[in-house]
This record gives sequence, structure tokens and C-alpha cells, in this order.
Amino acid sequence: MVRIVARRLAQIVPLVLGVIVINFILIHLAPGSLFDVMTAEQQITSPEMLEKLRHLYGVDQPAWVQLVDYIWSVLTLDLGFSYRQNAPVLDVILQQMPATLILMLAAIAIALIVGVTAGVIAAVRVNTIWDNLISLGAVFFFAAPSFWLGIMMTVLFAVKLGWLPVGGMREIGVDENALQATFDILRHLALPATALGLFYAATYARVMRASMLEVVRLDFVRTARAKGLSRTRVVIAHVLRNALLPVVTLLGLQLGTVLGGSVVIEAVFSWPGIGSLLFDSVMSRNYPVVLGVLVLGSLVVAVANASVDLLYMRLDPRVRLR
Amino acid sequence: MGPLSRRDFLATAAAGAAASTLPLTGAAAATPKRGGTLTASWGGFEPQALFVPPGGGSSPYFTSTKVLERLLKLTNDLKFEPVLATEVTPAQDFRSYKIKLRENASWHDGEPFTADDVVFSALEYWKPISGGISLNALTAVEAVDPHTVVLGFNAPVPEFFLRSVLAGRSTLVIPKHIYAGKNILTHPVNNAPIGTGPFKVKEWVRGSHVEYLRNEKYWDAPLPYVDRLVIRWWRDPASRSAAFEAGQLDIATFNPIPAPDIPRLTETKKFVADTRGFSNSAWVTTVEFNMRRDVTKNRAVRQALLHAIDRQFIADTVFFGRARPSIGAIHFSNSMFFSKDVPDYPFDPKQAAKLLDAAGYPVKGGSRFTVSLVSAGWFEENVKIGQYLKQALEDVDVTVNLTIPDRATSLKRIYTDYDFDIAVSNNAGTIELLPTTTVFYTTDGIVKGAAFRNATGFSDARVDDLVAKIAVETDDKKRVALVHAFNQLVTTEAPILPIVDLEPVTIARADVRNHSITADFMGESWADVWLDR
Repeated sequence: MVRIVARRLAQIVPLVLGVIVINFILIHLAPGSLFDVMTAEQQITSPEMLEKLRHLYGVDQPAWVQLVDYIWSVLTLDLGFSYRQNAPVLDVILQQMPATLILMLAAIAIALIVGVTAGVIAAVRVNTIWDNLISLGAVFFFAAPSFWLGIMMTVLFAVKLGWLPVGGMREIGVDENALQATFDILRHLALPATALGLFYAATYARVMRASMLEVVRLDFVRTARAKGLSRTRVVIAHVLRNALLPVVTLLGLQLGTVLGGSVVIEAVFSWPGIGSLLFDSVMSRNYPVVLGVLVLGSLVVAVANASVDLLYMRLDPRVRLR
Repeated sequence: MGPLSRRDFLATAAAGAAASTLPLTGAAAATPKRGGTLTASWGGFEPQALFVPPGGGSSPYFTSTKVLERLLKLTNDLKFEPVLATEVTPAQDFRSYKIKLRENASWHDGEPFTADDVVFSALEYWKPISGGISLNALTAVEAVDPHTVVLGFNAPVPEFFLRSVLAGRSTLVIPKHIYAGKNILTHPVNNAPIGTGPFKVKEWVRGSHVEYLRNEKYWDAPLPYVDRLVIRWWRDPASRSAAFEAGQLDIATFNPIPAPDIPRLTETKKFVADTRGFSNSAWVTTVEFNMRRDVTKNRAVRQALLHAIDRQFIADTVFFGRARPSIGAIHFSNSMFFSKDVPDYPFDPKQAAKLLDAAGYPVKGGSRFTVSLVSAGWFEENVKIGQYLKQALEDVDVTVNLTIPDRATSLKRIYTDYDFDIAVSNNAGTIELLPTTTVFYTTDGIVKGAAFRNATGFSDARVDDLVAKIAVETDDKKRVALVHAFNQLVTTEAPILPIVDLEPVTIARADVRNHSITADFMGESWADVWLDR
């Protein structure tokens, strides 16, 4: 086990270096640059000022020098400085990371609970009205654009019923104790996490249903039934546990995207996450921030994948033998 | 001009302006109330920093101007009112101006505001960083006493011009004791600016909002009226509509919600839509012809192609009526310099075809010539306008290769590489045309890599000469006449012309009072906005 974890951790270094080099090249191949965007925003017109800023932003250096400098600073745990935000990249990311983690983890939790439950029900009640309704719901939530679903939920629950806030993460300008703050965040989280979670839940439900139906036909399930176990016990202890592997795979993939956030949901609900930051940074060619998010993202992906591998072993001891 | 005559247009414009003021006249006259939280937004994104010294676009301008102040402000009826300056007096030769400063103002950290702050701002910030060519003539800044400053120039400077600069975007006064000896561009305080303004920054939560608290020691007591100002960002216009309806947003400026939602909200009488407050930041959509290309350097071709464009269609369809066909090079809301007495390019495809034939471009093999059309993709409307222009020009047998790049690529193609035959872009002009409008036509406006100025490569000694005269003409009437000659000349030459003048709107709850009263409302301090609750 220790060897597996150590090997996984060692793989992170080349992975991060690869992420830096590939994305650095991609960003520099894209037409336009952060310098173009910033000088346009700042309405810089004097040639002297343009030259001064070119030097300040470091874009007067050859691209390979910029790349080597960046890799060196990452190795010294410095993600650089974002002149656009006038702040260290790590500060900018860390300020918006908690919101992203809260949103994405809540959405995935909703997706797991709703999706797995719906998938199990659909499989247990296969070819009944329940199965059809769940399949219909899954298709609907998978196909419905997130921004549309978000707006519809906002109109119903925030505008018409007035139960929940329209956007943001906290009530602004209100002093709250820890309990009140938690409740406040949960109120603000309800709509965006549900809108995003239902999209993921649709996928989980379909995968779970298919996996359950596959497992339920296997010999060990028939044996368990023949031994006289109750239907519920067979489903939960034998079928569900073995059917979870594809869902865990999916979960691992989604955990890897957690740091990227959701641009659409953040936009609709004014959620202060990293998705919007990353989108803006790509559009403005703000490569220090883009690379910073991607470096941290690649770390999360590596850790998530390693965790999923370990979870596989826990769910299915045969995985370890292989 | 299509179905709308110029006379009709002007009458409509005047009626529209009058109508937009009606619901607020009484409100402004009512007794202001103190207190409450004003939640605001705008039709764009979050700023990259709360204060971006060289400019940084509308978003940091919105957030910084609640904290940092200028010397003057400009009202909708073109009156300059004092802010940090109480008097601005020109010398007889207009080569120097004496500025008396407010004596009871102080910075948010308690330090007194003095002439040294203005001298430092002028020499270290305005002239080298933010002012650009508007302060080229500034040669000396001297503090005569703790509350008097004299600005010296190497040429006569018109009074309206200087006052406009002092009330403009580039002359926020910054504290010397904070910035002296530091890099103004990267100073950490730019993310929590310290100013003399009515609001102090309490907290900025990136991606969400910035919260300001009332400056209890503001020099213009009892202003500001509200206790707390919150500027929030919703990226999605439909979400802003929902926020208005849910009572979580009080006011939002610069086209904050989808155009079709505007009548739906205002019909409830709970909201007002106000088109005032934008004349000193007047946005237009332009068509620019690259003078470096054989086809488009031909004036007759440019004029012909302008005849092929139905501007009324663009205003009605693309902007849902929230724009007007442009007349000349100056925005219709510019009550000082706008003139209808300029060459006109009414929508007339037959005339366009006739002019192209006469210019030596007959139809051969189904096409007269091919152009590369770059429509800057930073506004959704530009995407639609690009698609419309392709069809409109193809209707007169011009083959169009249309590209709609993203913002960074558009900036590079149009303003750095000059890689276009025709470009669709935008700019925001001020009432004073120098340099925000003239820079698109003068030879010194051609600076490779500098955005939103002369990208066409147009260079005409007559235009340069007129602009040079406008820069030093101190007689207002003569100056207006010079501007008129400039407008006629550039509209005739048409290297770049606005095709539609945008008519932005501020949406506010009906109980938000005293807003939109200045010529650039978004960039004012909002000290006098109050809540009738």
C-alpha cells in the first residue's frame, strides 16, 4: 500500500511539469496576449509607457526564458504574480477556491445521493413506471442546459416563492456567528448545488442502473437469493456494492474537475468560484493565473485518481491481486 | 437614414431624453433620506483590481470612483461642479490655470488632503500614466499654498477642455503619502484604495462583491446618504433581472438586463429605466476601413460600402431599439458638438452598386472584390453586426470573409497587426472630443499596439491641422466651428465612422432617488443617491 501511494506521489512531478509546458505553449500559440488585453483595457497610448509595461510584465523576454522562470518559481512554491489582478496568483486562487470546493463537493454529494438512489430504484423496478419516470428525469436533467435550469430554479424559488436568495454565497453586511454563517451559506448553496448536482445525478443514475442490471444477473447474486437472503439485503450488500465500481470511476473523474468549478453555474448564481476566474483568465490570456489553476488542478486530479485506486481496493479486494 | 428623417430623429431624441427625465424630476426635488444599503451592479464583469491606475476599463472605473475623487464633475446639462477643487481659473493667455482646493477634505486614513496630493497626482500619475496625450501640453505643476495649485502649459488650453480633463476618467486624485516612492501600477493599496470620497472600502470578495461603508468624515456632509454601498457582480444579465425582481438589487447601470426585460420590469412601476448619465461616456459601434489596403483606401469605395449598410436595421434588430443610427463622427448625446450638417450615407444598395461601378469595381464573375471583415468579438452585438454586414455587403456583390475572434485576438488583429480590410469595433467618446474622438483620425493616433485609436492608418494633413487648432482655440464659438469642420471632413473621408450610437440604460428600483444626474453617472461617487424607504 505504501509503495503504491509513494509511486502515485512520484508521478505527480512529471505530470505537473507536463501540464505547465503544454499549457504554456498552448497559451502562447493563441493569438493575442495578456499585454494586448491589459494595454487595451488601460487605454495605454504612449510608446514609452507601452515599453515600460512590456518590461514590467516580463513579456520583453523570449518565451523560453519566461517558461524556465515560471518552472523555477513553481519549484520554489511560487505561482507568480498576476499583474491583471495586481496580486500574487496563489492569493487570487486561494481567495476563490473555498467557494468552488463548497459548490462542487455539494453538487457531487447531491449527485451521488440522488443519482445512486434513483439508479438503484430504476434497476430494482426495471420496466415499471418508476424505471420509466427515472429514465425520463435523467434524460431531462442531462439534456437541460445548466444556465436554463439555474434560471428556472431562480425564478421559482427566489423570485416567485422568495424562499432562497438569487445569488452570492453569503448575506452581505450581516454579522453572523458560526452557526448562522453555516446556515446562510447552505441557503445560498441550495440552488446552485442542486442545479449542478442534478446534471451529474442524471449521469450517475444511468450508470448505476446499467451497472446494477449487469450485476444482478451474475451467479453470486443468484446464490445469495438461493441462500434465502432478503431482497433488500441482496440488493444492498451484494448487488449495490459490486455495481458501485463504475460510479466510483465516474466520481474520480469528476473529483478531478472540482477545482475547475462551473463557469455557467457560477455566472447564473454569482457564485464567487474559480470557474469564472479561469474563464476570464483564458479570455485575457492571463497565463500566470491559468497555469496556477491548472497546476493546482493537476495536483487535485493526481490525488483524486490515487484515492479512487485505493477505494477500488476497498470495494473489490480482487483489484489488489491484479 | 432609411425611414427616419434627421429632423424626426432629432425630435425623437429630444423627446426621449425629456421623457426619461420625467419620472425623476419630482423625486430629485423631494427631501433626501439618510440611511440604508444600496445594492448596485452594472452590465459587465468584475474588475481585475478595484483601482487600476492607467484606466482598466469600465469595471474598475465603477469601483474606484466611489472612493477616489476628481477635482470637478460634469452634470447632464454640461455644468462643471466642484468636487475637490472649488475654483478653476484660467490666466488671460490660457497657458496656466489656478486651482483652489477644498480645505476640509481628508483621506480615509485621516491624513489631510492638500495641494501636494494634486501636484503628486498630476506629475507622477496623470501625466505619465493615465492622462495620455490629453496632458501633452502640461509642463509645470506648482503648489502655491497648501490649497492652491497652478497648472502650466506650453500652449493655450481651452477652458472646456481642461475642465473636462479634470472631470474625466484619467484624473482621480491619489494620496501622495501612500504612493510616493512606490510603483503606482502595482501598489497593493490599489485593491483597497484610500481616497477622499464618500465611501470607504470595507471588503472585496473576489467573484462576488465589494462592500463600502459611509465615510463619516466626508467633506460634503450630510452626504453620502446611504450607510452602505454594495456593488455585486452577476455575469448573466437574466440573473440580474431575477435579482431586481427578488428585491436583491436596487440599481444597475450600463445595460444590466436583457433588452426585452426592460419594458416588463418598468411596466410594473416598481422600476425605472433611465437613459441619462451616459453622455460623457457615449458608446458607439464603428466600421473601420484599413487604408493600407488597395480597395478600402479608395474613398469612393468606403462611401459606397457605407450606403450598403442599413443602420436603422442594426439599431432596431441587433440593439432592440436601444441604439440610433449615427450621424457623422459625433454621438447624438453630445449636446455641445453634435451636428446634423454632415454628409449622409443613407441605406441605398443601388447607390452603393453605382458608386462601386464608378470607382472601377464592376461585378466580374459574380463579385466585385473580396474583403476580410473582422468583427471584434467582445460584445455579443458585434457578432450579429458582423453577420449582418457580411450579408449586406454581399448584396452589393462584395465577397466577405468574416471572422469574429475573441477579445484578445480581436485586439491583436485590429490594433497591433492591422490584419483586416474592414473592422467592426467600439469606442466610448467624451463630450470633449479631444482626444477621445479625434485620436481615431489624426496621424499621431497611429501607434502600433495601442488599442482604441487610429487603426485604419488614415492620415490627412487637413485633419491634423484642424485638430491642432481645436487643441488651442480658447474661444468656445470658434472651437465649435472648428469641430464642425472636422466632423464634416472626417465624415466625408470616412476612414472610420460610427454606424450606430448606443443608448445605454440604467435600471433602478423606483425608490432609488437622485441617480443618473451627471454626464458619466457610472463614474460618479454616488454620494447623493438616496433611498426613499
